[in-house]
Amino acid sequence: MSTIREATRPTLPARTAIPGAERRPFRDNPRLILLGILLLIAALIAMVRFADSSTELNPDFLTEVVLYALSAADLTMLVALVFVLARNIVKLVVERRRGLPFSRFRAKLVLAFLGLTIVPSVLVLIVGSELIRSSTEKWFSQPVPDVLGAATRIAQDYYRERASTVASHAVRIARELPVAAVEAGDLDVVRRTIEAEVAQGRVALVEVYRSRGKPGTRADVIPLVAAESPDLPRGLRASAESDAPARGIRASADRFASMVASGSSEGFAPEPLEGGGELVRGGAAIRDHTGKVVGVVLASDFLSGESATHARQIIEAYQNRSQLTAMRRPIRGVYLTLFVMMTLMILVSATWTGLYLAKRITRPVQLLAAGAREIGAGHLDHRIEPETRDEFGSLVEAFNAMAGELAASQQKLERSRLDLERKNQQLDERRQYIETVLERIATGVVSLGSGGHIETINGAALRLLEVDRSVVGARAEDVCRRDDLRPLEALFAQARTARPTPAVQEVALLREGRELHLAAAATTLLRDDGSAGGSVLVFDDVTPLIRTQRVAAWRDVARRLAHEIKNPLTPIQLCAERMRRQFSSAPAPARALVDECTSTIVGEVESLKALVDEFAQFARMPAPRAAPVNLNAALAETLALYNDLFREIRIDRQFASDLPPVRVDLEQMRRVVINLVDNAVEALGGSDAGRRPNGDAPVILVETRHDPGNGVARILVSDNGPGIPPADRDKLFMPYYSTKRRGSGLGLAIVRRIIAEHGGSIEVADNVPSGTVFTIELPT
Amino acid sequence: MKAFTQHALAVLLIVVLVGVTARVSAQTVQITPLPKDGRILVTLRMTDVFSDEVRAAMHSGLRITFVYDIELKRSTALWVDRTLATATVTATIEYDNLTQRYLATRREDGRMDKVETLEREEAARAWLTEFDKLPLFNSGTLEGNSEYYLRVRAHTIPRNASFVWPWEGGIAGLAKFTFLR
Repeated sequence: MSTIREATRPTLPARTAIPGAERRPFRDNPRLILLGILLLIAALIAMVRFADSSTELNPDFLTEVVLYALSAADLTMLVALVFVLARNIVKLVVERRRGLPFSRFRAKLVLAFLGLTIVPSVLVLIVGSELIRSSTEKWFSQPVPDVLGAATRIAQDYYRERASTVASHAVRIARELPVAAVEAGDLDVVRRTIEAEVAQGRVALVEVYRSRGKPGTRADVIPLVAAESPDLPRGLRASAESDAPARGIRASADRFASMVASGSSEGFAPEPLEGGGELVRGGAAIRDHTGKVVGVVLASDFLSGESATHARQIIEAYQNRSQLTAMRRPIRGVYLTLFVMMTLMILVSATWTGLYLAKRITRPVQLLAAGAREIGAGHLDHRIEPETRDEFGSLVEAFNAMAGELAASQQKLERSRLDLERKNQQLDERRQYIETVLERIATGVVSLGSGGHIETINGAALRLLEVDRSVVGARAEDVCRRDDLRPLEALFAQARTARPTPAVQEVALLREGRELHLAAAATTLLRDDGSAGGSVLVFDDVTPLIRTQRVAAWRDVARRLAHEIKNPLTPIQLCAERMRRQFSSAPAPARALVDECTSTIVGEVESLKALVDEFAQFARMPAPRAAPVNLNAALAETLALYNDLFREIRIDRQFASDLPPVRVDLEQMRRVVINLVDNAVEALGGSDAGRRPNGDAPVILVETRHDPGNGVARILVSDNGPGIPPADRDKLFMPYYSTKRRGSGLGLAIVRRIIAEHGGSIEVADNVPSGTVFTIELPT
Repeated sequence: MKAFTQHALAVLLIVVLVGVTARVSAQTVQITPLPKDGRILVTLRMTDVFSDEVRAAMHSGLRITFVYDIELKRSTALWVDRTLATATVTATIEYDNLTQRYLATRREDGRMDKVETLEREEAARAWLTEFDKLPLFNSGTLEGNSEYYLRVRAHTIPRNASFVWPWEGGIAGLAKFTFLR
C-alpha cells in the first residue's frame, strides 16, 4: 500500500504508526495554534501597555533601545511577511506552470484571503498612522505650551528675584564685614555682624569663609563662621557633622564658596533639600582695600518646601512638555512602530491563516485528485494518508474505503476474467476440437442462422454438396436453387421449422448421372427462451450402405434362386436323359426330335446350373485372407497370363516403383484384375479385335500409383474402347447387370464386393480421349 | 633656548597643519590633529548642528549628549585601513529651567573630565561642539613621515530619529595628517 502527502509528491510508503514518535506539523497541531494565538494576543496587549507608558521612558532608552528594537522587529516581520508572500506566490506560479490540479483554485483562494487581509490592514495602517500623526501634533499644539511657558517664566522670575535678593544681601554683608576680622579670623566680630543679618530676617543662613588661595586660581576656602535662622529645617544646622544631608549641603556650599572666591562664579546657586524646600545661595567675595579676596560670604534664603515644590512642579511640567515636544519624532516613531508592528503581526498572522486555510482546503482536494488519478491509472492499492480528523479527513477515509472496495472488486473481476479466460480457452479448444471433428468426419454438417443464412459448413458437407466455402453467409434457399441441390430445398425449408428432435430423411442427389444418397436430419437450435435460434443440418452419405444393402439383398436372392432353381434342374436333366434313352429305339424322326429336344433341355439345364453356381459362388464368397503383397509383382504375374493371346490388343504396364506392400488376398485380387482386363478386352471387341475405328491399336493400360498423402495404393485399368454411357455407370456394379449378351452380370458386383471387403473402393470414369478407366483404391 | 623651542614647535605645527587635508567645507565636523609632546592633540569643531530642534531639546531640560567616536587610522593600500587607536569623547548639557543654568559635563572614554555650570547658551553650545587639543592618542607608536588620518563620527543622544529608519548615520568627518618626527 502506498500513500502520498501532496499533489506533486511521489507515492510514499505507508507511515508506520509508532505511538509518540509522530510529530505533527504546526499547522495541524491545535494546541500549538492556540498557543500561538495566545502569544499574539499577549504581545498585542503588551504593546498597547508599552505604548501607554512610552512617554514615561527615559529619552535615551527610548531612542537608543526601544525605537531600534521596535524598528528591527518591524523590519523582521516585514521581511517575514514578504518572504511568506513571495514564497507562496512563487509556489503558486510554479504550481500553475506545472499544471498541478487545483493550482488555479488555490491561487484564487490565496489571493482572496490576502486581499481580505492586506487591503483592510493597509487601509487601517494608513488611517491609523495619520491619526497618530495628527494626534501627536495636537498634543504639542497651543495653548498648553504657552500656559506652561508663562508659568515657567513666573517661577523663573520668582526664583531669580529671590536669588537676586540673596545675592545682594551677600554683597552687602561682604562689604559690611570688617576685612581685618575676617583675615584675622575674629569670629566674634564676624558672628555679630552676620547674626544681626539673620536676626533681622533678611536671610536664613549666612556663612563666612576665609580664603587662602592665590589670585587667578581656584581658591582654597576655610569655613569661618555661620549664622542661621532657627526657622531652618533640622539637619541644615552646621553642627550636624554626622548628618549626611548636612554634609552634602556643606560640601556644596564649600564648593560654591571656592568658586566665588576664585571669581569663576558669582550670583546664586540653588540647593534642593531632601526634606523638601530649597536653599537659594548668593555669594560675594570679601575683598581688602587692594581688591584681594580675603573671604567669601554665602547668604542663603530658604524656600519652603511648598513653594519650591510648586516651582519645581511648574518647571517639571514645562520641561516634560518641552521634552515631549522635542522628542515627538521618536515618540511618534514609537507609536507608529508599535502600530506598524501590530499591523504586521495581524498581517502576518492573517496571511499565514489565509495560506493555511487555502492549503487546508485545497490540499485534501489535491490529494484526492492525485489519488483519483492514481486509482484511474490502475494503482488500486494507492491510499491517501489522512492528515486531519475533520470532514476532509472523513472524506479521505471515505476515498480510501472506496479505493479498497475498488481493489477488492478489481480482484474479483480479475479472478472472474481469469475464469472467463480459462473457460473461453476451454471453449475455444472445444470449438477447435469440434471443428476438427467436423472437418474430419464424413458427415456433412451445415448450421443455419435464424434468418436462414448458412453460418458454418464443414468439409464433408462441402464435398457432398459440391459447394465451396463462399456459400457461408448465403441464404440456404439461394444455394439450393442449383439443379442438383434442389432436393435439399425442402429440407432446408423444413430445417427452419424443424422440431428439436430431428427426423432422418433420405435425399438422393444426382452426381454425374449417378445417385448420391444422403441421410439428412435437421435440428432446430432453441434459445433459452424457447425461441428458434437457428438450425443444424446433418448429411450422411449412405450410398455405400444402400449399395451394400442392395448387394446383400441380391445375395439373398441369388442364394434363394440357386436353391430354388438348382433343385429342379437335376430331375429335369435326368428326365430328359431318360426320355432320350426311352426314345433311342423310337423311329428316327421321333428319335431325332427327342434327341434334339432332350439335348436342348440338357444344355439349358447345364447353363442354368452354371448360372446357379455363379450365383452360389457370389452368395458364398469367402472372407479375404489378406497378407502383405507386392502388388506390382502380383499384377505382373497375373497379366503374364495374357501374353500372346491377342492379335492386336496390347496390354501395357506402368507400375509405381515406390509402391509399398499392400495387405490383400492375392487370389481375390487376381480375380479382380482378370475380371477388369476381361471386361476391357470385351469392350475393345474381344480377343480377335482389330484396330480402333480411329486407327489406333487397342490398348489396355494397367497402372499402379502410390498416394502417401491419403495412404492409398491405386490400381488403374483403362482401355481406349468405346466407353460406358454415364447412365449405365451406376448400375455397372449391380449384380445381374451386364452389357454383354451372355454375361451373368455378377463380375463387377463381385469385384466391388472384393474391393469393399479389402477396405477399398472402386470407381469408373471416362478415359481420355476414349474408353473407360476403373480406379481401385486400397489402403496401404 | 626657550625661544628656539617655541619657534621649532611653531614650525612643526605649521608643517603638520599643511599636511592636514581635512575636509572642512563639506563637513560639519572640523578636525585638527596636532602631534605634540608624544601625544596627538585633537581639536574638534562641529558647525551647523544647533538647529531649532536641538536648541528646543536642550532647553526642554533633556540631557543632551554629543558623542564623538574618534579613530586614529592608517591607510592600507590593498586592505581595510588599520585602526591604531580609538577614543570616545562625550559632552553633556542639562539645562535647568528654574535656575536657567546649564550643567555641563565632559567625559573621555567614560572618565569624567570636567563638570561645570554654565549660564550662557553660547557657552553651552561651545561646550558641546568645541574641543581644544584633546590629548587623546599617544604618538609614540606612530611612524615618522607617514600619513595617518582621524575619522570622527558624531551623534547625539537622544537621537531625533524617525521611525521608518532610525539607524541614521550621524555626522562624520575625516582629517589626514603626516606625522613628522
